[in-house]
Amino acid sequence: MRTSVSHNRLIGVALSTLLAAPLPAAAAEVADPLEPINRTIFGLNELVDVMLLGPVAQAYGELPSPVRTGVRNVLDNLRAPVTFVNDLLQGETDRAGNTFARLFINSTIGIFGLFDLASEFGYPKHREDFGQTLAVWGVRDGAFLMLPLLGPSTVRDAAGWVVDTAAIDPIGQLAGSEVGLARAAGEAVDTRQRLDPVVQDVRRNSLDPYATVRSAYLQRRAVEIRNGRPAAGERNYEAIFREENDNAGAAGD
Amino acid sequence: MPAPLAIDRGPRRPRRDVLALLALAALAGVHPGAVAATLPVPAARFIDTLGQRVLAVLNDNRLDRTARLERLASILDEATDLGLVARLVLGRYWREASEAQRREFVTLFRRLLLKTMADRLDTYGGETYEVLAAQAVDDRDTMVATRIRRPGAEPIAVDWRVRDLGGRLVLIDIVAEGVSMVVTQRSEAAEIVGRSGIDGLLAEMRRRLEPAA
Repeated sequence: MRTSVSHNRLIGVALSTLLAAPLPAAAAEVADPLEPINRTIFGLNELVDVMLLGPVAQAYGELPSPVRTGVRNVLDNLRAPVTFVNDLLQGETDRAGNTFARLFINSTIGIFGLFDLASEFGYPKHREDFGQTLAVWGVRDGAFLMLPLLGPSTVRDAAGWVVDTAAIDPIGQLAGSEVGLARAAGEAVDTRQRLDPVVQDVRRNSLDPYATVRSAYLQRRAVEIRNGRPAAGERNYEAIFREENDNAGAAGD
Repeated sequence: MPAPLAIDRGPRRPRRDVLALLALAALAGVHPGAVAATLPVPAARFIDTLGQRVLAVLNDNRLDRTARLERLASILDEATDLGLVARLVLGRYWREASEAQRREFVTLFRRLLLKTMADRLDTYGGETYEVLAAQAVDDRDTMVATRIRRPGAEPIAVDWRVRDLGGRLVLIDIVAEGVSMVVTQRSEAAEIVGRSGIDGLLAEMRRRLEPAA
């Protein structure tokens, strides 16, 4: 009984926050109506990270860097089909050709993707997913979401992840769920290891780690969707630096 | 030895080469060509000089931790206008803040930056950088693109926003892999101010500055 009460309250909070839809933070362009629930999930993710993922990633970080680079390369190569399909769905034929060349080169002479020879041959790596494809098609982010274990996302990106996983990615389907799970675990550990300095930094120095992660995620996604073009010149970014004109006179420093 | 595995691409040129080329160019009285048609831009030179000064401090083995931090703090104060950056971070709340709140915010903002720098000092491990390009955004601001190389890891793209304050160049934002420091900190500040007001933000900043228990 008690659980159902708290469950109802949770839904009540969700509904009321959805309806109230508070204004997004000044710099973030994405609304976060589920913030109370998102923050709870963020706390749980942090717990999992401190107890499990962080320590595993730290141990993994002790491996020599060429070994880790090899693992990264294999994971990237397994990911290439998803990028290829999304390149095509975005109408980026040149990038699709690049991804196909990478997949071919690295899967053959790169020995199952262990060596990223394609980059040496002038086929640089990039990454696409169905969330980015939806963005290119004009679908907006929707609400910000903090997913259990998977971390920061948006309604659009979460939907994209489902499509990538269930419909586009051949690895999970062809090779069975064990391979899919192993790959997911590998991705998690590798990504966490590479992000470790950032994670430590945010924990130590951020005034509000949840807000930091949300803002950084949204900014990163924006760059990925723009295929790497920098923030300079983007309307929302530039507005911050123009705005200062208005109150510079009032500044008493 | 990790060479065949490396993923970097694009114009790769260690800093030494850039410096050598610049020195040659200076001697010959011409601008360096392909490397850095962009380097003669004052903002790019400003960032390059800043980078050299920071690396010189980081690599000076005669300095102990405290001395090193002091040097870095004075470089920071010289190269940025923290009053301006603090204003950008507080955004519209700057207008709502009282004179005393503004003053305290700028002070705490600077102390937190120095604390962050101190924390990062321990993770410094032989990073080097190269200045890649500079592009004017408007009549005041220029973005300088650099690449930071780290031993055994993929390089990071870092853009530096430099503002011309009537002839004096100051660094006003750092954008690492597309994530802007100003945008991120604005978001944090707005979140806390929205919840507990400007005084709540100041209290949280003071709390962060207390030595860890």
